[in-house]
Amino acid sequence: MTAAIQLRSVTKTYSRGGEELRVLDELDLDMDDGTFYALMGPSGSGKTTLLNMVGGLDQADSGLVQVGDEDLAVMDGGELAQWRSEHVGFVFQGFNLLPVLSARENVELPLLLAPLSKRQRREQAERALTLVGLADRMNHKPRELSGGQEQRVAIARAIATDPQVILADEPTGDLDRDTADAVLELLQRLNRELNKTILMVTHDPQAASYADKTIHLDKGKLGRIEDNRTGAEG
Amino acid sequence: MPWKLLFRNLLGHKVRSLLTIGAVMVAVFLVCVLQAVTSGLSRTLDASAANRLLVQSAVSLFVDLPLGYQQKMASVPGVEAICKWQWFGGRYEQDKGGFFAQFGIDPETFATSYPEMTIADGSYEEFAATRTACIVGRQLADKYGWQVGDTVPMLGTIFTRIDGKPWDFTVKAIYESTSAAFDQQQMFFHYQYLRESLEQGGATGPDGVGVYMLKIEPGTDPLVVQRAVDGMFENGPQRVQTTTEAEFNRQFISMLGDVPQLLRLIGGAVLFAIFFAVLNTMLLTGRERTRDLGVMKALGFGNGVAAGLLIGESLLLCLTGAGLAIALGLLIEAPIAAVTASFIPGFALERDTLLLGAGIAAVVGLVSGVLPGVRAARMNTTQALQEIA
Repeated sequence: MTAAIQLRSVTKTYSRGGEELRVLDELDLDMDDGTFYALMGPSGSGKTTLLNMVGGLDQADSGLVQVGDEDLAVMDGGELAQWRSEHVGFVFQGFNLLPVLSARENVELPLLLAPLSKRQRREQAERALTLVGLADRMNHKPRELSGGQEQRVAIARAIATDPQVILADEPTGDLDRDTADAVLELLQRLNRELNKTILMVTHDPQAASYADKTIHLDKGKLGRIEDNRTGAEG
Repeated sequence: MPWKLLFRNLLGHKVRSLLTIGAVMVAVFLVCVLQAVTSGLSRTLDASAANRLLVQSAVSLFVDLPLGYQQKMASVPGVEAICKWQWFGGRYEQDKGGFFAQFGIDPETFATSYPEMTIADGSYEEFAATRTACIVGRQLADKYGWQVGDTVPMLGTIFTRIDGKPWDFTVKAIYESTSAAFDQQQMFFHYQYLRESLEQGGATGPDGVGVYMLKIEPGTDPLVVQRAVDGMFENGPQRVQTTTEAEFNRQFISMLGDVPQLLRLIGGAVLFAIFFAVLNTMLLTGRERTRDLGVMKALGFGNGVAAGLLIGESLLLCLTGAGLAIALGLLIEAPIAAVTASFIPGFALERDTLLLGAGIAAVVGLVSGVLPGVRAARMNTTQALQEIA
């Protein structure tokens, strides 16, 4: 299996209140293509920072962040935006759907950046919503949907452009257990059936159990990697 | 640019959007009307005739000049004709709250001195031949439904009849005007009728003449006549001030202060107020959209789109307000013109004025959108996402 995501000696420091805070510290990490990863660790361990770097939302102070064939460290803001629109799908804890748009329009949003006709965009959005089981809720506004349905729309939006990598930041943090399980099953299905590489930040061990592997971070350094299928640790 | 989102965002806060659009509409409407008033005044001055001079008391317009001055001024070289103008200040019996100007004039020289006035109905000759006759402007006749032959009872306030009854004037002609400087909401009657009534003891009122109009001969330098007339009465008994018609009108308007300047100041203040109101709305909107714009940037939309959405929304708000203001202005232009015809005969919402209104709205929209737009463009995506996490 090829490494879809490679991090080499990645360091990221933030300045807060005049104090330098090293969030990622010489981090080395390889993630395989088509694998579902859970990213765990205590607060401040660098989980979200790592996710943002892999998603091209933030850049390392030093080191290599490579996703697919692209070295994100050499891209400027515009190039990163373009790259994100083509290669990454995001799922956020708070769903982050645009309230003034319907479910279908929310899913169509990232497709506006692709060279597609209006009809193609509509069809692609409808396909994504059907895939997440919301074919009958396409014209509903976010406020007319339940939390689980909103998150499924967000997942449909993340896969609408057919990116290879899906990044999810606490996607079940705002959901009850049953709804969370349904969303995690959906992510698992996207990984298994569509071979998407998924990196999911979570605090919840049960949520992490849906992933193939769990990466543990501690104080900006790699702790251990668990293989949830075999129970092996690396 | 996701245009649909632009419109949906605008509709997302209907009350706020409507209030902002309403505020812009009122401001642009006001600015357009003020501009139209200023232009109207300016047009009135521009339309003033160059061959007419007006002689008034050097003390005040409200001080009458002696009757004997007419004969003396007629001897000044270059003076072709003289016409008296005496403010009557009466109230129409049927509409005491209404206002229109009435003047006693000399029928023999009046028509020839004001060629911009044309008789549309009736006969000027009959007016000139009938002591108690009057001519009225088309707009005034239409307003009160007067026709040739009607009797118009006017209650004197400056010139009052001893018997307490109104003055009866018979409409002998209805005039129209081709000049912005010559109002169609006026009534003219014989000065002599007024004079005779005073002399015979049938009425009371001030002696003399308010203003003399001097029509000067072609080729005569108005300045020379002006100086000659002013010099003639330099030692009294009543000093005079002779001005061109344009200057006279300008002074008449400026009795209320520097009206155009005042209107410009009001317009400027309105614009500033509306600019801050729209800017406040857009800053609030920009702050509220941090979440949505952060998500959009995460999805791959560029900084330009984030800024464009806010600038576009601001522009749309302002241009919608301006559009409604222009529509409202066009709708009530005629009623405003009718109401203001007595003191601003040239009132009109011209194309340039409407374009100015739209332009101002566009500039306000653009400038108000730039600050939140730049903020949105510079906004750090991860911080925006952390704010909402």
